[in-house]
This record gives sequence, C-alpha cells and structure tokens, in this order.
Amino acid sequence: MSPEIQLAGIHPRSEKLIELTRSYERAKTSWNQVEAQLEQETRELIKLQESLGFKHISDGALGWQDQLRPIARSLKRVESGTRYSRWFDTNTFYQKPIVTGKISAGEIDPEKFLRTELLTGERNRKITLPGPYTFSQLSENKYYENYPDLLFDIAVAEREIIKRLRNEGVSLFQLSEPCLVYQPYREIFRDRSEVELALRAIRSVVEDNPGEFVVQTYFGDVAPVLPKLLDLPIYGIGIDLLETEISVLRDQTSKALVLGVVDSRESYVEDPRWIADAARKFCEQVDVQDLVFASNSDLKFLPQEIANQKLEALSKASELFEGSR
Amino acid sequence: MSKLFPVQEIGSLAKPKWRTKGLRQQLSSQDLSDAEEWAEKLAIQDFHDRAKNILKTSDDRERAKGVLELSTLYGLRLFETAGIDNDGVGGEQQRIEMYEHVIKGVQGMNLLGHVHSFDYKYFNKGVAQSKISRKHPVYVPEFLDVKKYAHRAVKVPITGPYTLVDWSFSGYYIQKQQTSSPRARKIEAKREFLLDIVEQIIRPEIRDLVNAGASWIQIDEPAVTTHPEPQEMELFVEAWNETVKGFNCKFSDHTCYPSEIGYKVLAEYAPKLDKCDHLALEFANRDTSHLGVDENSREGYSDLKHFVDAGFSGEFGLGVAHVHDFTGNVSSGAGQSLGRDIIESPELVRDRLLFATKIVGDPVKIWANPDCGLRTRTWDVAFAKLASITKGAELARETYE
Repeated sequence: MSPEIQLAGIHPRSEKLIELTRSYERAKTSWNQVEAQLEQETRELIKLQESLGFKHISDGALGWQDQLRPIARSLKRVESGTRYSRWFDTNTFYQKPIVTGKISAGEIDPEKFLRTELLTGERNRKITLPGPYTFSQLSENKYYENYPDLLFDIAVAEREIIKRLRNEGVSLFQLSEPCLVYQPYREIFRDRSEVELALRAIRSVVEDNPGEFVVQTYFGDVAPVLPKLLDLPIYGIGIDLLETEISVLRDQTSKALVLGVVDSRESYVEDPRWIADAARKFCEQVDVQDLVFASNSDLKFLPQEIANQKLEALSKASELFEGSR
Repeated sequence: MSKLFPVQEIGSLAKPKWRTKGLRQQLSSQDLSDAEEWAEKLAIQDFHDRAKNILKTSDDRERAKGVLELSTLYGLRLFETAGIDNDGVGGEQQRIEMYEHVIKGVQGMNLLGHVHSFDYKYFNKGVAQSKISRKHPVYVPEFLDVKKYAHRAVKVPITGPYTLVDWSFSGYYIQKQQTSSPRARKIEAKREFLLDIVEQIIRPEIRDLVNAGASWIQIDEPAVTTHPEPQEMELFVEAWNETVKGFNCKFSDHTCYPSEIGYKVLAEYAPKLDKCDHLALEFANRDTSHLGVDENSREGYSDLKHFVDAGFSGEFGLGVAHVHDFTGNVSSGAGQSLGRDIIESPELVRDRLLFATKIVGDPVKIWANPDCGLRTRTWDVAFAKLASITKGAELARETYE
C-alpha cells in the first residue's frame, strides 16, 4: 500500500480570502463575506485531499490566527492579547499565552477548533494541536513556581479539550512538539530529564486513546530524541526530514512515521522522484513499514497555490515510492 | 549638554485612504475631506492648492506624484506637531511596505503571493528566480521629497539585507547548490543570496542616499534575532559590516519582536557591528502597564542589561509605546485602553525612560520612540501615542534639571 499523505498543520489562505480579511479589518467587508469564502475554501481543500487519496482529512484550520490561539482561548487563567511573539524562526507571530493562575479547561467551543459541518465525508478527521510541552514552552508563566506543575496542568486541560473534539468525530490528533527538537531561543538547552518530563506530559494527554495520536516534530533534528519518542504508546511520530541528520538514525519501529519531506518554507515544488528517493534513503536507515508523507511543518508559510502543488507532488511521490518497493 | 531623551519615530505610519486610492484612480473632493480635516490640525497651509492640482489632473503619474508628496508632507507635519525631534521620512508614505517596496526594485526577483504574518496581516513574499541586480533606485526619490519639506532632523529607515533575504524564498540560490545535505544547502544559498543583496542592492541605495545628503540611516533588521545560532549571527555581522563599509554616515539598527533569547544574542554581537551608533529596540510590548521604576513594574526592559553587559557603547532607541492591538488591563495613571489600543500616559513613558537610564547609566544615550512603526494604528491613535512619548520624555528630562 502506498504511503498515506496528510496535512501537517495550518494551510495557507488564498489571495481572495486574504484580501477579504484585510478588507474586513478595515471595516469595508462584512464578516459574512469572509465567512462565506472561508467556507468555500475549506470545502475546496477537503475536496483536494479527497481527490489526492488522503485517508485522514483536515479542514486546514484556515481561520486560525496562530497555532496556539484556540487552545489558549479554551483554558482558564490563561490570558492572551497583549503580547505578540515570533513563531520560532519564521516571519509569523503568535499571541503569547500568559499564565496567571492554575490552568484548567474552560468552556470548549469545538467550532473554534474545526469546521465539523464541512467534514462530512466518511473519511477520518484529523486535527493539529500544539503539544503540552511546546504550549508550555511558548507561554509566559506568571503563576507556577514549579515548571512540571504548569506542564501537567496544561496536559490535563488539553486532554479535556481533546475529549470534546473526539465527540466531534476527530479520530487523529497531531500534537505538534517542535520544542522537542528546536530550542535555540532557550538559554539552557533541554537535558534528558526535561525530555522525560515532556514525554510524561504527552503520555498524560494521550492516555485515553493513544492509538489516535501522532507527535510531530519540526524545525529541528529529531535524531537525539527519536528513540524516546518511539517508546511513546502512540500511532505515529513526525519527523522534519529537511532538518534531521538521517545518516545517524538506526531505528526500527512498528509505528507510523510521518515524513516531513517537502519544505514548507521554500517555494520550489519538489520533484516527486526526489521525494520518493528521499523516503527510500530514509528507509535504508530506519526499518519502518508504515510511512506517511507530509510537509515538514504548516504549509501556511507558502502562498496557497504552491502549497497545493506540494500536496500534489506528495501524492505522486507516494505512488512512485510504492511502485519501487 | 544636548537635549536628553530626544524622541524619534521608527518608520511607518498608516496610509490615509486618499493616499492609497489616489495612487490607483482619480480622487473626488469627497475623498479629500479627511485630508482637509487633518490639514487644519497639522497646519498644512497650501492644502487647497495642492488638492486642486491633484483633483484636476487627468495624468495618473502626476496625480500619484502629488498624492505621495502630499502624504509625505502630512507624515512629517504629524511627527512635528506631536513634538518628535527626528521625523524620519514622514512615515514611509511613499513605500508599499518595508519588504515588497524593495523587492520591486530588484531584477531577478518575483513576488509570489501573500503569506500570513499575524492576525489579518500578510506580506507579499518574493523569490529569487535568477542572480539578482538593481532595477531602479528605491529610497532616493522619497528622500528628496522629505528633504524639501522636513523642518527637523531626518533619519532614513531602510530594510536590511539580512531581513530581505530571510523573508524571501531562495529559489535560484538554493537550487544551484550542489551539496546533498538540505541544511547545508540552505545556509550556503543564504550566504550567497545575502552578499549579492548587499553588493547589488543595499550598498548602491546607501551610496545614493549619502550622495543626496542623508546623514543617518536606520537599517531595519527584524529578522536577525529569529536565528540566534552563531552561524547565522556571524552571517548577519558579515553582511552588516560589508553594507556600511566606507560610508560617512550615522548608522543605527532597528530590531523588534525577537525570539525568546533574541536580544541576548543580538547584544552579544552588537559590539561587532561596525559603525552601529544606535540600537532602536522594542520593549513596551513585553512590559507591564502600570507605573513604577522598579524591576517588577518594568520587567519588559530587563533585556537592555544584556547590551550594556556585552559592552555596546552606543545609543539606545527605547521602545516606550506599544504599536499593536492591546486588550489587557491598564493601571490607574498608566494610560487608557481604548478599543484595540492602549494610549500610554506620559507618566508611564517617563518611568520606562527612567528605568532604562538606571540600566544604561547615562541619560545622554537614550532616545524615546514607539516599539516599531505605527502603521497598524490610526492617525489619531498614532498622534496620541507620539504626543504622550514627547510629554513623557519632557517629564523624564525634568528629573535631571
């Protein structure tokens, strides 16, 4: 069976939607007009995924303003809105969650997370959320004296949110954990005990239905933490193949590995043969049966047309890869 | 002793509707009603003559020229009326925005489409499709208009080479790299692209500006702190030093919204930047909105210590006013929260300046400014913020008199 293709995060808005949102901000367009375009584009993206044979369908989170906001707005005693911070080493920004008290799940509105009404097909639904470790690392803590308390309260609250989203039919949750592999913004690089702590928090999030989770890493080399990640009782692990030193990998796994093999931060569309070849080289290093092809992170860093072309390239690469096995 | 706590703008102001529309189509007198209202506030004496010329011309280029010149004049007068000491280029009214405006002047680069920056803000991202060269001068035409109308000192903000490259797709430069490691390809492509931007685009721009009389150039490098790895920071220093080499001009760096340890890393490398006399930095965004000159009240300014500790001996342009949406609480006396805005009180500005002085140790080295350009705020809000900064600087000055 050829590798599955999945969206790995937020998909870009079209030029038309961008223009409408700008116009809305200038009070020249009603929200209804924006909403209609948002809906149409979400439908088109769903259709594109279906036509390319995706088994797990995402709505592309086209309405999300940043990767953390829906979670941040669903937590009690987490404020945001006063401070913008840079999203890793990109030219995008997120509203920094500010933790002002003991965190718990607040009122959870599934509509803030996904367009359930548009995900009507029979295929499985996928959503991408920040993992507890990354969320805690990117927040400002003004309350907890001990970091583990913050991390585990986030994990428990996130589990509640996920429970609610599961009721909306989501069957695959991608927990994005770039902070596990990218930390140049930290003064002290994480040590082994911090990785252990992060993994315990992830276990706490996934404990109800571990088979429904992928932990996705990006913007950094997964090699140093991959063996530990493979011990997690989850469906799959995501790897940024453009940042990972694959020559040092010597692992074997029955888990799915989501290969972030197309570059969400460069505009040239990868040749499907190159993608298939990169996947083959990876398989020479890592013994894996279940492969998923994806972009290395959110495709929102690209214009939409190019992002869609990259999805098509992934789909062709999947066929080529299978044909050569 | 020269004036303590002089006030500067950082770059952009919002573009009035008539300026944006007037570049694309004929304007009506109705379109200029907003301009007429501001003409009175800003004492633009010859507004009616200028408006008449703009309205009567059927030549698109002539109308665009008149509109750009008028909006530049408005920007300069808005800064002046608010009491700013250095009026920059009048709010960058002649530019599309900091990135696209330059890329349009680069042969070999194409704009591919808009990508998300934050909320409903986007930028049109370019790609290098071949080796780049200069298509036409970017900043000098604007500077010549500014020179005509400025009553006060002028500083020319330009977008730095590192940021231009970091915000672009490498295209040609990455595809020509032979090495098999994707990471090595990226860094090699970036260096080659960057040095081409410096030599082919930025140095010719600076040369033209200096020849036209510019005496202070602010190099905007918001992207630099996004890559705190030593390899990237050394690349930034190399590009900076190459950029300013041989020019007789004051240079400053403006870097805002860094990653978590961004300013700490920039501080480490700032002393290595040749001819960098001044760093304009963003702090208000991360500060509390209550009064006080203690460390807790002024937590947003703690990173300033890194620059002092690292031995940067130049001036600091201190961000004392927030330039983005604000939805938090404002303590009594620290300002007002109005819709999506905070208008910092002069007292809050004063406290921020005085706290920074404690860290830097010398009030002569401190300028007051907004965190960044004010393009996301309305003119009313921008004016109120700038007026508060001016009054706050006066209050801070009084403590030294």
